[in-house]
Amino acid sequence: MRARHLFSAVLLLLSCASSRAGLEWSKPVQEFQTTPDQSSVEARFAFRNTGQTPVTIKSMKTSCGCTTASLEKKQYLPGEQGEVVAVYKFPFQKGSLRKIVTVATDEAGAAPQVLDIRVMVQEPFEIKPALVVWRAGGPVEGKGVQLLAKGGHPVRVKSVSSSNPRLSARLETVKAGEEYSVLVTPTDTASKEAAVISVVTDFPADAPKTYTIHARIK
Amino acid sequence: VIRRILRQIALLLLLALVPGLVSEAVQTRHRVQKPLAAGEIRAATARQWGDQVQWVDARPPERFEAGHIPGAFRFRVEEWDALLSQFLDVWDLDKTVVVYCDGGDCDASRALADRLREELQIKNVYVLQGGWPEWQAK
Repeated sequence: MRARHLFSAVLLLLSCASSRAGLEWSKPVQEFQTTPDQSSVEARFAFRNTGQTPVTIKSMKTSCGCTTASLEKKQYLPGEQGEVVAVYKFPFQKGSLRKIVTVATDEAGAAPQVLDIRVMVQEPFEIKPALVVWRAGGPVEGKGVQLLAKGGHPVRVKSVSSSNPRLSARLETVKAGEEYSVLVTPTDTASKEAAVISVVTDFPADAPKTYTIHARIK
Repeated sequence: VIRRILRQIALLLLLALVPGLVSEAVQTRHRVQKPLAAGEIRAATARQWGDQVQWVDARPPERFEAGHIPGAFRFRVEEWDALLSQFLDVWDLDKTVVVYCDGGDCDASRALADRLREELQIKNVYVLQGGWPEWQAK
């Protein structure tokens, strides 16, 4: 008797699971690592209709105008596979970025599927912070800026120079090719000043980049 | 009999109307008070801050020329290298930076605000929820 109840319960669970199943997504979260030279990524979200009935994709909403999502067709028969192709454009952006595409279907009671695109745009050489500020009339003290090679390539600093002699910049090597620091020091803070501090590197070899630190006495 | 049936239909319709109206009222309220995303600020709050706000317009030049918040500095993330120095010249340490674009699904204000916060480590940077249309609406 107990076994028969157990069997019925399992059958009921299986039938519920079967009727609920619809589109199954193989990788709804996708992560990308890029450099600022790359201004877009294409994420391909594959799915399969694992249910017993056809599923129609009713809408795909992107979280900003910078992302587009396309689909070959709208209706997918049981067992059929498909793919949402999302293109996320992020020109001139850096750091950790994230956009989502929300896919709604005609499956009864099914919550919309969130497709998640995560991008890390990493400069080969990170400067933190890229701005140092003093208040006019405030204490005269040096402020440090950290320079770190990222992305597995050694980046060497060839020179550091300031456009304003009232805001001097001194380079210190913590670990050649990996980590440096720049100490920016004002001669005084009596008046408002501005400086552009240029950090010349040797990377990439064919077109070495120069980075900028901004300094202000406000 | 017909009158009774019609009365029952009318009663049913009336009963169905009540949850519909309640739902609409809740949704309307929800639209007005859309939750703030991280780093966002409402236009009403920014207005209260008055001249303590440094407005930054992250829209294309032609949109800026057509109309903008008084005193706004036009600065798109695409022009980061070209305009950053000018922005830092007008930026006031004691003011809060509020960046806006065209609202809706526009991402330009968030992109710029993120770079100001992360690269320059300027702390008081917000994105105007709803952007320029929200500012104009009130």
